Amino acid sequence: MVRNAVTVPALTVAAPVTQAGEGYWQIAWRRLRRHRLAMGGLLIIALLVATAVFAPWIAPYKFEQIDLLNRFGKPLAPRHLLGTDDLGHDVLTRLLFAGRVSLLVGFAAALSAIALGTLVGVVAGFYTGLVDNALMRLTDIILTLPIFGVLLLLGRYFGGGIAPIVAIIGLFGWTTAARLVRGEILRLRTQDFADAARALGASQSRIIFRHLLPNALAPIIVAATLDVGGAILIEAALSYFGVGIQPPTPSWGNMLQNAQSYMWTSPWLAFWPGAMIFLTVLCFNFFGDGLRDALDPRLRL
Amino acid sequence: MQRYIFRRLLQMIPIALGISVLMFALLTLAPGDPVDLLISSDPRVKPEDVVRLKHLYGLDQPIHIRYLKWLGRTVQGDLGFSRTYKEPVTELMRDRIGNSLWLTVTAFVLAVGVAVPVGIYSALHQYSFLDYAATTFTFFGVSIPVFWFGIMAIYLFAVWHPWTQIPGLAWVLLPPGGISTPGVGEGLPFLLDRLRYMILPSIVLALLSMASYTRYTRSSMLEVVRQDYVRTARAKGLAEGVVINKHALRNALIPLITIMALSISGLFAGAPITETVFAWPGVGRLLVDSVIGGDYVAAQAVLMFLAVLVLIFNLMADIGYAFLDPRIKYD
Repeated sequence: MVRNAVTVPALTVAAPVTQAGEGYWQIAWRRLRRHRLAMGGLLIIALLVATAVFAPWIAPYKFEQIDLLNRFGKPLAPRHLLGTDDLGHDVLTRLLFAGRVSLLVGFAAALSAIALGTLVGVVAGFYTGLVDNALMRLTDIILTLPIFGVLLLLGRYFGGGIAPIVAIIGLFGWTTAARLVRGEILRLRTQDFADAARALGASQSRIIFRHLLPNALAPIIVAATLDVGGAILIEAALSYFGVGIQPPTPSWGNMLQNAQSYMWTSPWLAFWPGAMIFLTVLCFNFFGDGLRDALDPRLRL
Repeated sequence: MQRYIFRRLLQMIPIALGISVLMFALLTLAPGDPVDLLISSDPRVKPEDVVRLKHLYGLDQPIHIRYLKWLGRTVQGDLGFSRTYKEPVTELMRDRIGNSLWLTVTAFVLAVGVAVPVGIYSALHQYSFLDYAATTFTFFGVSIPVFWFGIMAIYLFAVWHPWTQIPGLAWVLLPPGGISTPGVGEGLPFLLDRLRYMILPSIVLALLSMASYTRYTRSSMLEVVRQDYVRTARAKGLAEGVVINKHALRNALIPLITIMALSISGLFAGAPITETVFAWPGVGRLLVDSVIGGDYVAAQAVLMFLAVLVLIFNLMADIGYAFLDPRIKYD
């Protein structure tokens, strides 16, 4: 995407924010690197993704391996660093494999919610009028739904596997992105460069995909980042209520649900999965926030 | 203004109907109606019983007929009979709404009481140590999984509490769940007992709202103190306290009140997790139990109640906005 770095001369003299020849993304990256919390978040996210991807090689045991003689093992034991659960599963191993599921659900659900929201937003913002009205009323209705109850209900019918949970979260999570993208498209479609493209005879899809959407990309990326954290929280909540990812597939949410029964005797079992969810969501929020600051074009002037 | 409110109330009807159709379809078209559930739990049920029961509950009729019958009963105030609770849903809801109100109102007061002063301080001392601390806290508040926070709070303050090791201090332990001690009596003892039960759940429920209100207060206040009229007030030589309280704060609160009104229904709807963790017999827990337990009659009632609540608070937010900001004109 091409953006001319227009700077106000007076400001450039005072603070050379933009360097010659730098593109929009380079400027954003430079700004992001200065954001300590965001970079810390990004680093931890990268670590978490790496441990999830390489879980089968890192984990000390197989995730379904049980050790009935060694149930409810306390943490910091020589063979089980984080202890063992009610069936003698190694907790560290389970956490690593559960991270795979939780992160996968988070990324996939956020991606589908954003894709669906962008589609609805583009259609509503570009075609306006009746289509826009109908789509926005639909958005209003979905925003009025007691969403948690609906998710529980759908989880109860279709939950269990990874794909249905992703679909459920995506299907009801697109409204924020749709409103956001619609607003951006409505703003952009009347600008001179869009008029120019239209005057040159560009097709509708070319105007949308080459001219409008790339310019709306920054807020979409920020929303997507924050959505990953949100989706991980929703998956965990559904699994916690037993209608999300079903055991034996471990997810942080269902590990927590299982651990709750043994809270009085083995509280560490409940501590780790929740702490992992907390850490992951926190990092996505820090990163998303830094990204917003870095991508905000208004700050560039 | 009256015409505006009237029009909005009229507009609420088709939206509420649309939601009710959606909910009804979701609950009814899904696999496994109540009779199917009964069969799976009781092998002695004979096929002719199934036919008889399906007819008795009206489950053999087409869905649109069932919806219209449900709608007809509901507008007359009959929400049906809950099979799992063996109680009319109307009565079930009445108790639950009361219990939820205790928790929701306390949590709301707690959230506002902390968030508004902290947010104002943060904005007035931008980039100070406390501002950074408060901003970081808001990130924690929106990122923490509520159920985990609840479980940890129970463990720390209701199970394992360092003070309880000291003899004679066992009473410091808070109740891990429930709503009141049986046979506590009435009046002041009842209230004090209720308060003890509410400490943990209300803090857990308040945290998320507290974090987001703090963010909104801070950004709203930051926006306002940059305005020309605040500079004018300072230029006139007004005392800083007057500038902040009379000129800045009042304007900063306008968007805030809207956001709060919008979020009260969210607080109510966000309670299911907290209520379940703390075994609080409120609407949220009824929602979780009825949905997971397959009690469609109760589930439909709770879902509709929550949706209507959102609609009403959305309207109140808009009306409140017009009252507080004379620049806004509805017609």
